[in-house]
Amino acid sequence: MNDVVLAAERLAAGYQKDKAILTNVSFTVRQGEMVGLIGPNGAGKSTLLKTLRGILEPLTGQVEIEGRETSALSNREFARKVAYLQQNIEISFDYSAREIVMTGRYPHLRWWEKERGEDAQIVDACMAYTGVRDLAERPIHTISGGQRQRVLLAKVLAQQTPLLFLDEPATGLDIFYQEEIFRFCRELSDRGKTVLMVVHELALAAKFCSRLMLVGEGRIISDGPPSTVMTSGNLSRCYGVPVRVVQNPLTGSAEVFTEPPPDDGRRALLLGTILGRGEE
Amino acid sequence: MRIGNLPNAIVLPLLTIAFFGTAFLSMAWGQIDIPTENILALLCQSMGLPFLSEIPVTPEQEAVLFHIRLPRTLVGLMVGAGLGTSGVVMQGIFSNPLADPGVIGVSSGAAVGAVAAIAFGLSDTSLLALPLSALCGALAAVTLTVFLAMRQGKVPMMTLLLAGVVVGMLLGAVTAGILTVLNEQKIHQYLFWTIGGLDYRRWDHVMMGAGPILAGIVVMLLMARHLNILVLGDVEAKAVGMPVARYRLGLLAVASLVTATGVCISGNIGFVGLVVPHMMRLIVGPDHRRLLPSSLLAGGTFLVFCDAVGRVIAYPTEVRVGIMTAFIGTPYFLWLLRRSRNAMQ
Repeated sequence: MNDVVLAAERLAAGYQKDKAILTNVSFTVRQGEMVGLIGPNGAGKSTLLKTLRGILEPLTGQVEIEGRETSALSNREFARKVAYLQQNIEISFDYSAREIVMTGRYPHLRWWEKERGEDAQIVDACMAYTGVRDLAERPIHTISGGQRQRVLLAKVLAQQTPLLFLDEPATGLDIFYQEEIFRFCRELSDRGKTVLMVVHELALAAKFCSRLMLVGEGRIISDGPPSTVMTSGNLSRCYGVPVRVVQNPLTGSAEVFTEPPPDDGRRALLLGTILGRGEE
Repeated sequence: MRIGNLPNAIVLPLLTIAFFGTAFLSMAWGQIDIPTENILALLCQSMGLPFLSEIPVTPEQEAVLFHIRLPRTLVGLMVGAGLGTSGVVMQGIFSNPLADPGVIGVSSGAAVGAVAAIAFGLSDTSLLALPLSALCGALAAVTLTVFLAMRQGKVPMMTLLLAGVVVGMLLGAVTAGILTVLNEQKIHQYLFWTIGGLDYRRWDHVMMGAGPILAGIVVMLLMARHLNILVLGDVEAKAVGMPVARYRLGLLAVASLVTATGVCISGNIGFVGLVVPHMMRLIVGPDHRRLLPSSLLAGGTFLVFCDAVGRVIAYPTEVRVGIMTAFIGTPYFLWLLRRSRNAMQ
């Protein structure tokens, strides 16, 4: 059995002291797991991830990483244990892709040191792995969304951390890029990296993650392998609409549908107004 | 967006040559022309070097060079270099290419200090009273701004920017209020200070500015790699292990001190701190390890060049450097912007 690398204990998370979004969250993650955090918009998935990474202070409770309480870690030590890819990074100045990836080496250098040949090699390897080596000298603003996400993934890999936290790494990308990011993560977690990711693509989460946590109602509603978490009952309750999960016999993976809410006749009236045919 | 194809290996040497070349130009041009070889001879003789002793120099040339042009040029180089580097740092700290060194109240604070020194007649007692008073005003204004923006030990950048604007307005009103009760001669003195100039700068000014400006520039250059991280924003910098608040406030303090010192010994020179970093970013890119040294050199070159041109363009009167920077800088900057837009398409 693998070691526990991440433990949350009676954690409360939120942006304001008196308004916790999540309360009493406790779980442990073992090395090599690929955990998908799923749940409706606003449920607190990103908040949880930020709190685990220390971007937000835990309101109560504590987080342990590799057996050490995170509040006792220095910024540098924390960044050498966990790499964090945030949602929607805005980069104000026009750095090249390579310069962005190189920032991943920051926690490995003392403040007076400059990057060595070894750092350049790691950066090259990470960019080659995610397939953006050819774009190294391109300004980041000229790179398309999918490629940009590969560059940012190379950056968090260059940090060489045992844990990887990704906040919606695949959202808004073409289907090919989406699956590719999940495949990368799967491959890395098979080799012992522990991955925690916030995911909106339920079918992809079910297909690639080794474990899912369903976040809703201010807590973790369900936690376990995808087959036990992704049930019609769980999802319907959590998303507040009728959801059906069907196993596709052709691909063997889960497909998720929602059903339209019952119509009380008001929609026809509204449509009339919207389409400008109210008088007819 | 980068423009031009100048390799970075050439840009820095070119800028260095321009830096010293312009310094020479500034020492040669003026009401009395001093030929280049005479300047070299004078510099060598004064440093006790055994070169060029055969070139005849007049005592007049010597006096003009050592008492007027050399201190004036040195102040220009220092202030320009300081404004260039602290402009880069301010834009980096705020992750905002439109921030300039005056953004958190430095200039308006210095103005209050200056107008107070003039109002109370301190400026007539000693050459350094006005700059020192302006420096105190600038530092007090920055402290007030940071204090206003502070919340539970944290300083959110957006709040800091807004606090800077508010403090600037308040102090602007204070300055205006004092000005309304001053006599014409004093108002004129203030107006002269506020335009910014390098005329009548003495060795006292050089001595006063050298410590804070040079030390500040060295610190900022050493922090170049960290600035690269800081400009990516709070979360990104924290995610790679930077103690963001400490670095940000430290750099803010250094950049403010350098700007304040610059403004105090040469008056308000607005254009350099905003536009030189932009120009250099277009030419060498956003990596601060290239951007800071090139903005340093370009800032000094630009300011001294503007001053030298201002001295000869409307001879026998002088156009003050604060006016020249805008007249020379604006068209060049617009041209750069147009080129970068074309390069993007």
